[in-house]
Amino acid sequence: MPESAHCARRSWLLLGTLVEIAAEAPSQSMLESALLAARAELARIHQSLSGHDAGSELSRVNALAASDPQPISDDLRRVLSCALDIATRSRGVFDPTVGAQVAALGFLPPQAAAPGVASWRDVELSREALRYAKPLVLDLGGIAKGYAVDCAIDALRVNGATAGRVNAGGDLRVFGTRGEPVHVRTGGPQGALFPLVTLVDGAVATSAYGGQRRRRDRRWAAPLIDPRLRLPVLSTRTVSVIASTCMVADALTKVVALLGRGAQGILRAYRADAVVLSPARGRWRCTRLESTMVAGA
Amino acid sequence: MRREWLIPAAATLVAPVCNVAYAAVYFTTEAAQRAAFPDATAFEEVLIAPEVKLAISRDAGRFTVEPRIWRVRAGERPIGWFMLDEVIGKVELITYGLALDSNGAVKSLEVLAYRESHGDAIRLPAWRAQFIGKRPDDPVRLDSDIRNISGATLSCRHVTEGVHRLLLLYAKALAHA
Repeated sequence: MPESAHCARRSWLLLGTLVEIAAEAPSQSMLESALLAARAELARIHQSLSGHDAGSELSRVNALAASDPQPISDDLRRVLSCALDIATRSRGVFDPTVGAQVAALGFLPPQAAAPGVASWRDVELSREALRYAKPLVLDLGGIAKGYAVDCAIDALRVNGATAGRVNAGGDLRVFGTRGEPVHVRTGGPQGALFPLVTLVDGAVATSAYGGQRRRRDRRWAAPLIDPRLRLPVLSTRTVSVIASTCMVADALTKVVALLGRGAQGILRAYRADAVVLSPARGRWRCTRLESTMVAGA
Repeated sequence: MRREWLIPAAATLVAPVCNVAYAAVYFTTEAAQRAAFPDATAFEEVLIAPEVKLAISRDAGRFTVEPRIWRVRAGERPIGWFMLDEVIGKVELITYGLALDSNGAVKSLEVLAYRESHGDAIRLPAWRAQFIGKRPDDPVRLDSDIRNISGATLSCRHVTEGVHRLLLLYAKALAHA
């Protein structure tokens, strides 16, 4: 870091979590404008892609796309293209159409479409518009936060930051020439913290299951849905995925949580690595799934 | 992207049983004041009489710490108020700064410091923006005008209660000062 660099970190309550943005820039005014631009990006993405907000673009599309093709924003197009790509490669292990199930479990507001009828194959994304072949509820909760982090990093870069970090709960991305050590926090009531990786220009997303489950109809429910069975999974695994973008890392945590070692092929396709931590008799068993065979490459 | 592993390839890790605390200071008081009121030329600290705080604690719960209040001026003209307060998140204190315009409406809310053992404790979507424009006569309660979406935790509840107390304090002690 040059002596003249100005650095700061700020925190805001955005995306339903505490988001921390840190940056380094040649001048104080560039630093402040970069931080504010990054915050504005996060708020903008949240406004358009949140499933919690009835006024969002996503909610409008969910309400109307089954009857008429809907024009969509570039943001929704990018996130949805990536989501459908991962759905195809994972043969539906990742499926952004689980919204109705997520809502039925109480993790999203009530929805009109019934759970279990449609799948990602019923999402028709053309050059002009988006159409649903059947009534369905798109839920980008497993990928949009990662995309928002990517957009915030771009905003830092475009506005003159020379290094930066955006951390939104489980989704983190860094840029710059220095390596940033990243820790992983496991889920569950006895969460532990482990050093995970030193990262230069990359993203880490962690899904720690076990922390957000709730009781419903005398059964435990968790927000991780197995799209093949359309049922919630009571996983106790904590999954971290390391990839070049946070959007891909975010989405792949769900694939690894459901497939374990079976996710190695899809990790390779995205040049991503994963670490799975599972509780075993009061300790944590760690398994690394690497897309590259050369250690440290 | 380049990465170097810090975690072993395959092993059983002994977990530290305690929660490792997460602590961060984002803004100094001065920086938060400047950010909320870029045009300000002076911040004059005002003191609140103990009777006022006692009256508020009867209606809206006790202050966790002694809140600090500044009258903000641009030249001779009063342009608002800056309030610094702390509430308990889950177990630790959250420091936040509340900026009011000269009519007592909320201008901004910033987190100055966060010392929580759970970094993801605040889970109420977009709730910070919901405070903007609130006035002392608004209820500012969870489940009424501040939406309490599922998954809301103590952190949100306590910051909301804190903002409610500070707005009452404005109404009782500062509005006619």
